[in-house]
Amino acid sequence: MPVEHDPDPFETRLGHALRDAGDRFTADRAALVDGGLARGRRQRLRRRTAVLGGVAGVALAGVGGALLTPWDDGGASRPGTSGRPSAQAPVAPVTGHELIESLEKMLPEGEVSGQEAKGGADGAPAPYARVVFDDGEGAAGIVVGLDRIAFGGQHARQTVDCPDRTLVRHDACVSTELPDGSLLKLFQGYVYADGRAKTKLWSADLVTPAGQHVFVNELNAAAEKDSPVTRPEPPLSTDRLKKLVAAPVWRGYADSLPEDPVEAAEPPAEPSVDSVLDTFAALLPRKVKVVERGEDYSFLVLDDGGGRGYVQVDVQHNMGDVAGELFGEGSETLPDGTLVNFRENGGDKGVPGAVMWTVDSLRTDGFRVVVSALNAPTQHDAPSRTAPVLGKERLRKIALSPEWDRYR
Amino acid sequence: MRQPRADEYAQFAAARAGHLYRSACLLTAGDTHLAEDLVQEALGRIYVRWGRISRVDNPAGYAQTVLTRVFLAHQRRRSSTERATDTIPDRAAPDGGHGDLPLRLTLLQALARLPAKDRTVVVLRYWEDRSVEETADVMNASSAAVRTRSTRALGRLRELLGEELGEYATP
Repeated sequence: MPVEHDPDPFETRLGHALRDAGDRFTADRAALVDGGLARGRRQRLRRRTAVLGGVAGVALAGVGGALLTPWDDGGASRPGTSGRPSAQAPVAPVTGHELIESLEKMLPEGEVSGQEAKGGADGAPAPYARVVFDDGEGAAGIVVGLDRIAFGGQHARQTVDCPDRTLVRHDACVSTELPDGSLLKLFQGYVYADGRAKTKLWSADLVTPAGQHVFVNELNAAAEKDSPVTRPEPPLSTDRLKKLVAAPVWRGYADSLPEDPVEAAEPPAEPSVDSVLDTFAALLPRKVKVVERGEDYSFLVLDDGGGRGYVQVDVQHNMGDVAGELFGEGSETLPDGTLVNFRENGGDKGVPGAVMWTVDSLRTDGFRVVVSALNAPTQHDAPSRTAPVLGKERLRKIALSPEWDRYR
Repeated sequence: MRQPRADEYAQFAAARAGHLYRSACLLTAGDTHLAEDLVQEALGRIYVRWGRISRVDNPAGYAQTVLTRVFLAHQRRRSSTERATDTIPDRAAPDGGHGDLPLRLTLLQALARLPAKDRTVVVLRYWEDRSVEETADVMNASSAAVRTRSTRALGRLRELLGEELGEYATP
């Protein structure tokens, strides 16, 4: 029997609250438009200069993929697909039609309707096909989707790890490794985590060592939201779902997609705030006391008896591509190639009298450690002392300490 | 840029700047300075590609996509000082609020506690009203990843806002 349900009241309220909060921010539109125009002109000029000089500008390469395709900007060529020499002609991008056709072929006997798809050929970075399938027991939405993610990366782990039951309500979840090294997650849960509707969501996620990600979702309703439950369970058994997601055809299609530049650039794993702060605290002078410790971000508030001061540290990977932006004139190169510089400014908040000292360091492998110290307990407070708790030399010692190598 | 096209761009930028700025304020959890910077950067990128953008079906949607990706790129590349701006946002009071101002600030503070990508999912889905697939498109991610982030972010916001949001949005 169909089950009607209202939209989640929390989600509705959140939408209202966001709109209300957002609408109260008023912009100086003329300043934004003028600023945008000036930047656009500068970018255009840089771009022309880069093309003329045969150099892809660093500033453009990073976020250049913003618009049409990730390799559209900065003169960079399209990344090669996995296991293929880049000189070979790229695989033609998968079309929505191909996705639907392949999906329909693999479904058991029944009626298929409501076909909808977006292929790589349509510019989708993560193509998908959606159909409504009815084997006679009730209409069910089935979606198959593809993208490329870095195998072993954070995103890949989140994709194939079973969620914590306290966060995501589910009936079953198994994560296994297949003989070819691919990782597979089979999940049986619900569209709504709070159980207000009985729409079940069963899914299979496959991530191959070549970085192809295929997923299939099926429901016991024609659509996720605003669609009644039509049957007790989704139509495809776990076994069939597994066969469907593992079919070689999808991997071929996934090969036609560019590697995700965002994920590819992401470090393998960022150290936890706690661990970073433990390392940081161990490098402080003995007379300095830690009076507050960040939970979400790696900062400490210190006191050496002469007033409290805020200090923070950032540990980042893969920052080599922005070396030119971060380490300009006045930077020092150490014998091992590490770049170091010192910056002094008045903090970010325009507080009168604020002094912030920063030592930035970049190892040759792109590993960066930045340490800053302020002469106030927070960025908003008035200065509590004339100089930060940690001196320039101490900041430098901390930033260059071999203790950070454990996170490289 | 030729004059008619330049005029067209100027008109578009003026019409969208306000909305983009409000989106940016939510993405940055109330850091208005960073929001201005992101909108200008996004408008700059749109200027460079205006010839193509002006021909797509939904330039306004494209502009939002550009803004979101500029924000995510900023998060990846921020320097130490920029990081500090994120960690302790200005949380400038939205103009004109009186009675329920603290709740708005609570909302912004709760947003600030989410990882940037989770916050982006929340803004796209509940402020921009985008579907999971559209959100995935904008973020260059899979819909499965968006779904995971969405569930996690809503759980965290429920935890942080709970009753307050309940009282807040009674019509």
